[in-house]
Amino acid sequence: MVRMGRNDHAVIEAVLAGDKEAYGALVVRHSESLFRVAFRITRNEADADDVVQEALLRGYQKLGSFRAESNFGTWIYRIAVRCALDKIGGRKVDESSRVSDETSPELQEVQVADWAAGPDRLLLSGEIGAMQETAMHGLTATERTAFVLRHMEDCTTEEIGAALGIGPNAAKQAVFRAVKKLRVRLAVLRVRT
Amino acid sequence: MSHLREEELIEYFYSRGEVGARGNRHVESCAECAEAYTALQADLEEMEFAEPPARDAGYGERIWESLAQSLPAYAAPRRRWLRSGFWMGLSYAAACGLLVSSAFIAGTLWEKNQTSSATAARPAPPAPKERVVLVVLGDHLDRSERLLVELKHADVDSADMVSPLREEAKSLLAANRVCLKSATQGDDPELKTALGDLNRLLDELANQPEGLNSAAIARLQSEMNSDGLLFEVRVLRSRIPEGQAAGMTGEGGGKI
Repeated sequence: MVRMGRNDHAVIEAVLAGDKEAYGALVVRHSESLFRVAFRITRNEADADDVVQEALLRGYQKLGSFRAESNFGTWIYRIAVRCALDKIGGRKVDESSRVSDETSPELQEVQVADWAAGPDRLLLSGEIGAMQETAMHGLTATERTAFVLRHMEDCTTEEIGAALGIGPNAAKQAVFRAVKKLRVRLAVLRVRT
Repeated sequence: MSHLREEELIEYFYSRGEVGARGNRHVESCAECAEAYTALQADLEEMEFAEPPARDAGYGERIWESLAQSLPAYAAPRRRWLRSGFWMGLSYAAACGLLVSSAFIAGTLWEKNQTSSATAARPAPPAPKERVVLVVLGDHLDRSERLLVELKHADVDSADMVSPLREEAKSLLAANRVCLKSATQGDDPELKTALGDLNRLLDELANQPEGLNSAAIARLQSEMNSDGLLFEVRVLRSRIPEGQAAGMTGEGGGKI
């Protein structure tokens, strides 16, 4: 039975003092929020569950290095983002949504794969959401994670950089590249409307 | 007027107008940038991504159940102190003790070694229990030579000359015994023979029952070959450098 009621820091002290069961309170408290960000990055329910478990396991193992002045929620959130990034980084990108990373330096345009299936058929079948999902899969793991954190999680570029282990400017550029690629891919929706 | 780049428009969108006064003013005043921003805003706001599936209330519990089995408990601080502090301190103490012991043993061995080598380098000191008589052989031979010369030219009719010979012989006899004993232990046969002959002569001179008279002196000069003994003493004396107190070892190896 998981004991609740103590704040995160008190629980961490108890865990480090040898009370393993106390960690259960942190798991119950943060699992759902970790699942949300994990799902948004992985776009897959099973993968998101794996990410939650992996993040909480890594968090327990690194608990000795957790600094008291930090926020456990933020700390474990970053670990979960890294786990999700690892997850999608190792996953093979769908061939139909492959995107070249080559960008014209003059036009600052992104070269995307041709959508042979055609927008009309996709729209007619009511698969706009699937189209967006496909566009998301065309992003690199870093771009997708940066975009999710910026667009859906309302993280600042500093927070994104910290979560991804990169500098704020690199995080900002990753968001820019993601938005450009998505706009190019989803331009067909504007044509339809 | 330069227009905002797409990156700036994207940043403007996500910062919700907090990107700065320049961006706000420009988008409001520039029709071209305002149009570009409106298009960007529409694209981003129209993106509808699937919301994460809801997790039930027992989700966290299930995650914990799956994790709990594989998590080892952290060591209690006291035990950690024991491990990191006490045992580490004990290790340091043991290492220091070992170092001190090694230094002590090494020092002892070194000192012993030094002592034995110094002992080997120096001549053995005289044993405290053994009497050491230091007699300068050169002086003894000088005195003996003078006695023999006087004996050779003694005026046997003069009692004034004979009496000092007897007293000198008695005095030299004690010293000669010591020299003879030392020479017997040494490896100089010539010295041993000469001192032995000298000892018999001195003994006769010092212990004549009727006292020294012309007949006794003549007999001693003849029987004891005092002239030959004088020659031997001179030879031995010449082997000793002038002014050097050449010594001999006395009893127990003492230097004479």
